Amino acid sequence: MDSKTEVKVPVRLSTRDPSIQLEQEPGPLLVQTTLRRPQLSALVNSLLRPDDKPIPFDILINGQFLRTTIDEFLTKNGISAETTLDVEYTRALIPPLNVTSFEHDDWVSAVDVLSASSVAGVWSGGHVQSGQERILSASYDGLIRVWDMSGNVLATSDAPNNGGRITSLKSAKWISDKKIVVAGMDNTVRLYKYDEDTRTIAPSVELFSHRWGVEDLAVHGPSNRILSASADTTVSLFSSNAKENPAPPSELLPSSNTAANKRQKLSKPDKTVPARGALTKLSGHASPVSSVIFKPDDATVAYSASHDHSLKTWDLLTSTCVDTRTTGHSLLSLGALPKLNLLAAGTSARHITLIDPRASAAQISVMTLRGHKNAVVSLDADPSSDYGLLSGSHDGTVQVWDVRSVRPSEVQGEGQLGESMYTIYRDSAKGRPTHSHGEDVKVFGVRWDKEVGIVSAGEDKRVQINRPVGS
Amino acid sequence: MAPNPRKRKAVTRDVPATSDSDEELADGLLDGILSHSEGESDADSEDDAESDASSVIEGLSDEDEEEDDENGAFSDTDPEDGEQGIREQMRKLNTRDTSVRLNGVDQALDLDSRPQADAELDEQAGENLKPNYTVTTDANGNPRYLYKEIDPVYDSDDSDAPETTNTIGDIPLTYYDEYPHIGYDINGRKIMRPAKGEALDALLDQIDIPKGWTGLTDPATGKPLNLSEEELDVLKRLTRNEVVEDGYDPYPEMVHYFSGKKEIMPLSAAPEPKRRFVPSKHEAKRVMKIVKAIREGRIQPYKPPSEEEEEEERVYYDVWADEKPRPENSMHLAAPKLPPPGYDASYHPPPEYLPDKNEEAAWLAADEEDREKDYLPKNYEALRKVPGYERFVKERFERSLDLYLAPRVRRNKLNIDPESLLPKLPNPEDLKPFPTTCAAIFRGQEGRVRSVSFDPHGIFVASGGDDGYVRIWELLTGRQVWNVRLSDEDAVDAVKWRPTKDASILAAAAGESVYLIVPYSILSPDVEQASRDILDAGWGYAASKPTTTTNGVTKEPPGKWARPGSKFESKGVLVQATVRSMVKIINWHRKGDYFATVSPRGQSSAVAIHTLSKHLTQLPFRRLKGIAQTAQFHPSKAIFFVATRNTIRSYDLAKQELVKILQPGAKWISSIDVHPGGDNIIVGTYDKRLLWHDLDLSTKPYKTLRFHQEAIRAVRFHQGGLPLFADASDDGSLQIFHGKVVGDLMENATIVPLKVLKGHKVKSRLGVMDVDWHPREPWCVSAGADGTCRLWS
Repeated sequence: MDSKTEVKVPVRLSTRDPSIQLEQEPGPLLVQTTLRRPQLSALVNSLLRPDDKPIPFDILINGQFLRTTIDEFLTKNGISAETTLDVEYTRALIPPLNVTSFEHDDWVSAVDVLSASSVAGVWSGGHVQSGQERILSASYDGLIRVWDMSGNVLATSDAPNNGGRITSLKSAKWISDKKIVVAGMDNTVRLYKYDEDTRTIAPSVELFSHRWGVEDLAVHGPSNRILSASADTTVSLFSSNAKENPAPPSELLPSSNTAANKRQKLSKPDKTVPARGALTKLSGHASPVSSVIFKPDDATVAYSASHDHSLKTWDLLTSTCVDTRTTGHSLLSLGALPKLNLLAAGTSARHITLIDPRASAAQISVMTLRGHKNAVVSLDADPSSDYGLLSGSHDGTVQVWDVRSVRPSEVQGEGQLGESMYTIYRDSAKGRPTHSHGEDVKVFGVRWDKEVGIVSAGEDKRVQINRPVGS
Repeated sequence: MAPNPRKRKAVTRDVPATSDSDEELADGLLDGILSHSEGESDADSEDDAESDASSVIEGLSDEDEEEDDENGAFSDTDPEDGEQGIREQMRKLNTRDTSVRLNGVDQALDLDSRPQADAELDEQAGENLKPNYTVTTDANGNPRYLYKEIDPVYDSDDSDAPETTNTIGDIPLTYYDEYPHIGYDINGRKIMRPAKGEALDALLDQIDIPKGWTGLTDPATGKPLNLSEEELDVLKRLTRNEVVEDGYDPYPEMVHYFSGKKEIMPLSAAPEPKRRFVPSKHEAKRVMKIVKAIREGRIQPYKPPSEEEEEEERVYYDVWADEKPRPENSMHLAAPKLPPPGYDASYHPPPEYLPDKNEEAAWLAADEEDREKDYLPKNYEALRKVPGYERFVKERFERSLDLYLAPRVRRNKLNIDPESLLPKLPNPEDLKPFPTTCAAIFRGQEGRVRSVSFDPHGIFVASGGDDGYVRIWELLTGRQVWNVRLSDEDAVDAVKWRPTKDASILAAAAGESVYLIVPYSILSPDVEQASRDILDAGWGYAASKPTTTTNGVTKEPPGKWARPGSKFESKGVLVQATVRSMVKIINWHRKGDYFATVSPRGQSSAVAIHTLSKHLTQLPFRRLKGIAQTAQFHPSKAIFFVATRNTIRSYDLAKQELVKILQPGAKWISSIDVHPGGDNIIVGTYDKRLLWHDLDLSTKPYKTLRFHQEAIRAVRFHQGGLPLFADASDDGSLQIFHGKVVGDLMENATIVPLKVLKGHKVKSRLGVMDVDWHPREPWCVSAGADGTCRLWS
C-alpha cells in the first residue's frame, strides 16, 4: 500500500452564508491531501443537499483560497498535516461573461445602475421592479443617456448652454428613480429630472461651487445630500432639494464675465435653469480631489481621496476634516467595503490600497491589491459578498478581487498582498493583447449590481455588461 | 597686420535704465543692457585693423613705423626713406664685374667722356663709384669699352673673393615665371633659364647607345670594347663571388645514402662468415706483444710524478690569511633559509602527494608565475628511472640573467574585482517614485509634436506641433479638450503655460509670433476673467508710450503687440506678439510677468524679453556671439541664462552684468534646464551628451552622461520637489535620472540613472522632441516625432 496516497488530514467544514449552512455539524472529517477544490466542493455538496443540482463552492483554508491540492497548500504554508483544518466554503464566484455592449457616440466616462437592489433603487422606495433596471451613462460629448436592459436609449439629455465651455461629463449618479445628478469638466453639478413615462430628461437646477472640473459625485438619497469632488482641491456639499441650497456665487456664473455672457447669448437661447450654490465647501486637499464617498452607514461622514496622496475623513455637520491618511501615491478612486470597515483606494501606481479609516487603525495600508497595469480609476463593492471588490483601470481591464485571497507582502508597510480573481477585458479589444497604456480601451467607470451584473464604461465608447452565466 | 588687442573700443552702453531698483528686473527696461563680451571683441578687431591703418598713414604711431622699417627692402612707399632706398637698389642692380671695377676707381677720372645717364647716376651714387673705362665706338659701330690700367692696390684684385653666382641682381625668380629667361646680364641680354633635370633626362634618352657598349677601348685592337651578354653575365657572377661555371648548383638536393630506415631484406643473402665469430688472431698477436713488453719492463703502466716537480711549478698565495672576522653589517639580512624539500619533491612520493588529473591539468594550464610550486610531483619506481632534469638549461639560463641583472618582462597583474571599481549607487528601487510605464497616449496630431507643457495645476497638458495646432489634453485620460490652429504654414515650435495658478494663460510660438491664449472653454468664468484682465492690462501702456530714441526718431520696435483678429479671439487667442524672426523657445519668469523668447536665427534680436503687463518687447543683448539656443530665468534670483551653441552665460538682470560663463565642452547645446534650487544646470547636447553643471563648483561639467545613441533634444528638471530629471533623445527614448542636490556645499549632487522609457517611434531620425514634468507628481509627458504625446507614470 502506497503511503503517499493515503495521507489524510482532518478538516472542519464551516460557512458564513446561512443559506448554505450544514444542518448538523459533521465534526472533523478525514480527507485525502491530494484533493483539490472541485473534489472538496463535491464533498460539501454531497453533505449539504445530495439530491439537488450541485452548487460550485470555493474553498478557503485559514482565510486563503485553495487553488492547489491540500498537500501543496499545507507545504506552502507550513501547516502540519495533523492539525485540524478550518475549511470554509462559499459560493464560488462564477466567471463573468460578456453579455452585451451599448454603443455611444463618444467616450463614456461614468455609468450607474438603477435596479431594485441598487442603492438608488432602495432609496426610491421600491418603485423599481425587477426587470425594469435602468442604466445611466454619462459621456464626453456632454450628454447623459438612460438605457434599458435591451440596449435601447430611453432618454437623452440636451446639451447644456454653458457659454461655449466644454461640456464633457465625468460623473453621473441616480439619486432616485426620478432624479439624476451629473457633473463634468464645466465645473457645474447639474440635477436632472427623469420621467419614466414620457422618457425625458429635463434639467432642474445647476449647482455652482467649483472653479475647475468636477471629478466625482457621491449621493445619499435619504438625507438629500450630494458631494462633489473637484480638481480645484475642494469638496462641495449640496442638497438635492434645490431650494435648500443658497444663492450661487456670482463670479462663477457663466454670465459673470462679459465675453462668456456674450457667447452664451450667441448660442441658442435656452430656457434658463435655476442656479444655486453649495451648502458648504470643504477645502484642505492640496491637489485635485479625485473621488468622494459617503460613509456607507453614516451620511454625516464623508471620505475623499486626492491626487495629493491623502485620504481625508470629513465630518459634514461641522464641515471639518477629522482625519488625514497619507499614502505613497496619488489616489484616483475610492470605494467602501462596509462590513470590513475598509476603504479601497485606487492609485496612479497601478494598485489598490485598502485603508482602515478608523482612528484606531495603526497601519496606513492594510492590504495592497496588485495586478492592474495602469491607474485604477473606478471601484465598486460586490453587492453579494462582503469581500468582493471590482476595479476599473486605464489599462482597459476590469478586475474582480476577493480580499480574502491574500498572501503576506515582502514590502514593509504594504500590508498583505492580493491578487485578482478574474480579469474582464474589453469586448472591443477583440482579444488583442492589452497594453499598459490601454489606448482606446481605457475603463473610466464600473458598477456592480446584483441584477444587472458588472457594468463598465470606457474609452471604446461602450458600456459593457458582464454577468456570471447561470446565476 | 595683427589686430591690436590694446586698441579695443570702449564698450558702448546705453544710459543705464533709471530703475526704481526695487524691481528686480530693473523695471523691465532691459533693452541692450547686456553685452556679450566675447562677441564684441570679435567685431572690434575689425575696427582696430582700420584704425591701425589710418594711424600708419598719418605717421602718428611710432610703433607702427618701427614695424614698417623692419619689414625690409620693399618699403619704398615710405617718403622719408625714399632716396636711400633707390641708391641701395641701384647698387644691388649692378653686376659683379662693374662693381669690382667700380671699387677700384681712379678718383681723378674725367667726367666729360661719360654718357649723360651714367653721369647723372654717378652724381647720386657718390664719389667712389666712378668707372675706370671709357666707351668708344669700334670699327663695327658697336660700343667698345676701353679700360684703364689697374692700380695694383690691395682691393684691385678680388679673384680670391667668392664667386658671385647670381648675376641677375636681387630680384626674385618668381617675377620671371612666365618668361623663358630669368633675368638680364649687364649688357641687357636675356639670361635663359637653365635646363632642369627632366630636360637633361630627355636629352640623354634621345642619344642612342649601341648594344654592349662599355665606353672602354680594347687595348689589343684599339677598337671600342663591346661585350656580349654571356660575357656580361660572367662578369656579374664574378662580382658576386659566385662560381662562374654555368649550371652549377651550390645547394643540391640531399641524397640519403645512409638512412635510418631499416630494410626488411638484407642486401646480400650470403651467410655470416665464420671469421666474425672466432677471435681475431691478429689482435691476439698484438696483445701478446704488449704483454711481453710490460713483463720485460719496457712499458711502464703508470709512473707517479715526482713531488718536487709539482711544488716547484705551482705557487699559492693565501689572500685571506690575515683576515679578521668582522661584525655583521647592521643592514645585513641573512638569506632566507629554504624549507627542506617535502614529500612531494621526492622522486617516489607517497601516492597522496601525487596530483590527480585535474590538478595536473590546472598546473599545466596555469601561468608560470601563478604556479604554487615550480615542479609537478612525479612518481618513478626507482631512482635509476628518473630521467634527466629537463629544466636544467632553462634554470641555468635564468640564473645567468639574474647574475647579469638582465631585465626581464614582468607582467603586471591587478587582482581587482571590476564591480568594486564602479561607484556605489543606491538601488533604483529605493529611489521610487519615478515614472516607469506609459500611462496614456495622446493621439490626434498630424506630423511631429514639438513641444509639451503642463499647466500649473497639473490637470491639463498643452502640445504644439508641425500641423500648426495648439492642443490641450486632459492628463490622465489623454482626451483632447481644446485646440486652435495658429498657422497654416508654420509649425508650433513652443508652448508654455504661464506658471501661476491665479490665471490660466498659454503662450505658444508659431513662426515669428508668440500667441497668448486663454483657453476659456476649460476655465471657469472667474478664472477666465482674471486671465483676460492680465492680458488686457498692457494695451493702454503700449499705446501711451511710443518707443523713440534720443533723436526723436521713431525706431522699429523689436516686437509688435497686436490683437490677432476676431477669428482667433473667438477661440481665446487674445494677444499676438511678433518679433523679427522665428521663435523657437519660450520660457516664463516664475512670477509670470515676463517671458523670454529665443529665435536662433535672429542674430541681434535672437533673445527677447517680453513684459506681459506692458506689452513690451526688449532685446537685452546688442550682439550675441554664436547662435542663441535657449534662454531661461533663474528660479529664484534675477539671473538670466542664455545658452549659445557652445557656452552658457548667466547675467544678473538687476546689476546688468555678466555673472558667469559656463563651458560645457559640447559641440552644440540643444537645451538647458535650471534646477529649482538654482545652483545646478543640466545641459542636453546634439552630440548625445547630458551634462550636469554645478554652478558653485566649476565652469566645466560636474558630470557627463553619455547613455543615448542619438542627439538629446530636451532636458527637464522636476520642479515640484522630487529629485528627478529627464532627457528626451532622438533615439526614441527618454531617460529618467535621480538627481539629488543637498544644501550642504561639501557634498556633490547624487546622480543615478533610473529608467529608460521606450515607446516613441523614430521618424525620419527624430525621436522624442520635448519632455515636461508634472508640477507635483512623478509623471512626465513626452512629445514624439511620431505624432503622439505620452504620459509616463
